[in-house]
Amino acid sequence: MLNTLIEAFALISTWEVIIALLAASVYGLVIGSLPGLSATMATALLVPVTFYLSPIAAIATIVAASSMAIFAGDIPGALLRIPGTPASAAYADEAYAMTRKGEAERALGAGVWFSAVGGIAGTLSLMILAPPLAEIALSFSTFEYFWLAFLGLMCATLVARSSPVKAIASMFIGLLVACIGIENPGGVPRFTFGMTDLFGGIEPIPALVGVFAVAQVMRAMLTPEPPPIPKRKFGSIMAGQWKLTRKYHRQMTRGNIVGIIIGVLPGAGADMAAWVSYAMSKRFSKEPEKFGTGHVEGLVEAGASNNASIASGWVPSLLFGIPGDTIAAIAIGVLYMKGLNPGPTLFTEKASSMYAIYLMFIIANIMMIPLGIVMIRLASHVLRAPRSTVMPVIMLCCAVGSFAIGNNMFGVVTVATFGIIGYVMEENGYPVAAMVLGIVMGTMIEQSFVTSLIKSDGSVLPFFERPIAAILAAMAIGALIWPVLVWVWRRLKRGAASPAASAG
Amino acid sequence: MRLPDRVTGLFLVGLGAAAAYGGWQLPPVPGQPVGPNVFPLVIGSGLALCGLAIAFGIGHSFEEEEELVPLEPGQAPPPTGKLYGLRALLPPALLLFYVAVADRLGFIITAALIVYVTASALGARWKLSLPLAVLAPIGIHLIFSKLLRVPLPAGLLPMPW
Repeated sequence: MLNTLIEAFALISTWEVIIALLAASVYGLVIGSLPGLSATMATALLVPVTFYLSPIAAIATIVAASSMAIFAGDIPGALLRIPGTPASAAYADEAYAMTRKGEAERALGAGVWFSAVGGIAGTLSLMILAPPLAEIALSFSTFEYFWLAFLGLMCATLVARSSPVKAIASMFIGLLVACIGIENPGGVPRFTFGMTDLFGGIEPIPALVGVFAVAQVMRAMLTPEPPPIPKRKFGSIMAGQWKLTRKYHRQMTRGNIVGIIIGVLPGAGADMAAWVSYAMSKRFSKEPEKFGTGHVEGLVEAGASNNASIASGWVPSLLFGIPGDTIAAIAIGVLYMKGLNPGPTLFTEKASSMYAIYLMFIIANIMMIPLGIVMIRLASHVLRAPRSTVMPVIMLCCAVGSFAIGNNMFGVVTVATFGIIGYVMEENGYPVAAMVLGIVMGTMIEQSFVTSLIKSDGSVLPFFERPIAAILAAMAIGALIWPVLVWVWRRLKRGAASPAASAG
Repeated sequence: MRLPDRVTGLFLVGLGAAAAYGGWQLPPVPGQPVGPNVFPLVIGSGLALCGLAIAFGIGHSFEEEEELVPLEPGQAPPPTGKLYGLRALLPPALLLFYVAVADRLGFIITAALIVYVTASALGARWKLSLPLAVLAPIGIHLIFSKLLRVPLPAGLLPMPW
């Protein structure tokens, strides 16, 4: 234990890792704070860079950039009411209301402080939860893996704040995309239409870049430029945060725990954690009437929650290769590329690398406090950069980055195609995150499904016979029929509210 | 480009049916009941079912109406028109342009064109977009070609490093 810890320290105390951590932090802060450029996009555009780094430095960039970008999304949320990333959307109104009351420092300070605390709590949970879960995971067969992956996809459709039918359709589209190529049980070219470029299948990373970056540039073409952030002098940012911590320690802990639980669930990540925690904070608050008028309580809980889920979201990623959200999906791609194939044995065979990941999470979250304060102070300058200078650079990064992934031009075609697909889907209310998770998990879910079917001789019963498989199946099916229950409940409530309707 | 649910739903029915049919046509693995044909069949049928449900408006009540941010006084309303919507296709078109000509023109020239067009389309004046079109490709080339050793096409204008 102590030896592995020392080894892990040695792994991360190289110049390459330190520079990578710092550079990725600054990058994550800047991209995350620009309205319209999400944390997922920031991480996806980093992937080509990680190709050329050592494994630990590569993971360091992903860890640092994603944690910073999730926090930085609070900055435009508070100052402009435009959340920088979807995870900040839950409380952007509240934070903006605080800014209008002249409490911008308190709102942003709470963002940075409770994000850092949440991130560290999430990391601790990752350290504590992962090894015992790895023990259990060793006994998993393809049945469990199938249900786990299925549960992940179902959670992803629940997170989407859109029609569940459309979310499930998006997921199917993603799985269909994953069918392309010759990597299937028969090894035959499937849906390749005779194009050799399609034989290898669609790479998830170019698809992600297309859906999250190109589609965003496309939207920018049609929407008016967001107003520049008004220049303002900030007072002390951290003042009073300790008082808030003491006053709202219960909310903070609850936010941390909810974030950790949601992060551990496959398919659910920071966005869902923020929404659930904000709603919970309002529900259990002693002064719920203050919510929406610039009250810091919800901010504390949701901020503590979304960053906790970032770290604990690595639990299913590292153990099963099942991503908690789109950022984790990118991280899994990087892990595979660097020879750290996710799986329960990772924790025994590559223990020092795992400790290095924990340490990097903790360092990144501690660094978040000083860097975040600098970023908040600089925000009114950085965010004045007009969109017409940022977007062209994003376009170049899309072109070069997608080329670099396979050193062929087909990657660029993929990015352009998925840009169009993502744009059309988003415009029509189809959540793209569900599709992306479908693409990432398609091969795995097919393999476990077909292998299980072969083992069971085509019968469905063995899918439910093993105890853990049965539990996972019940959860997955529960997630599937959950929207139906909500719908029925809403109908009943409406029926009770108007007796005429229930009589007729 | 907002389409009615009926249109997107029916499109998905078609896509799902095509996928299921295409999967069904795949050759099975000899001597095995399940092969590469099962998964597309399941996915395709599921997609077609979802498409039908969407076309009939099931689940529509869950969708949140888009919140329209009120315009600030002094902010011009976005122009509308048939051709205006086509501007959204500019970014993917530029990427395909990159695929088509990058090998012949080289990275620097192609990238400069992409940057100039994108910046201008987003409303930058030439005083901003011209220097950007010169500097951004050189910067990206430095990072990706020099630092990360991505083989970017040299074309007509090779860089001195």
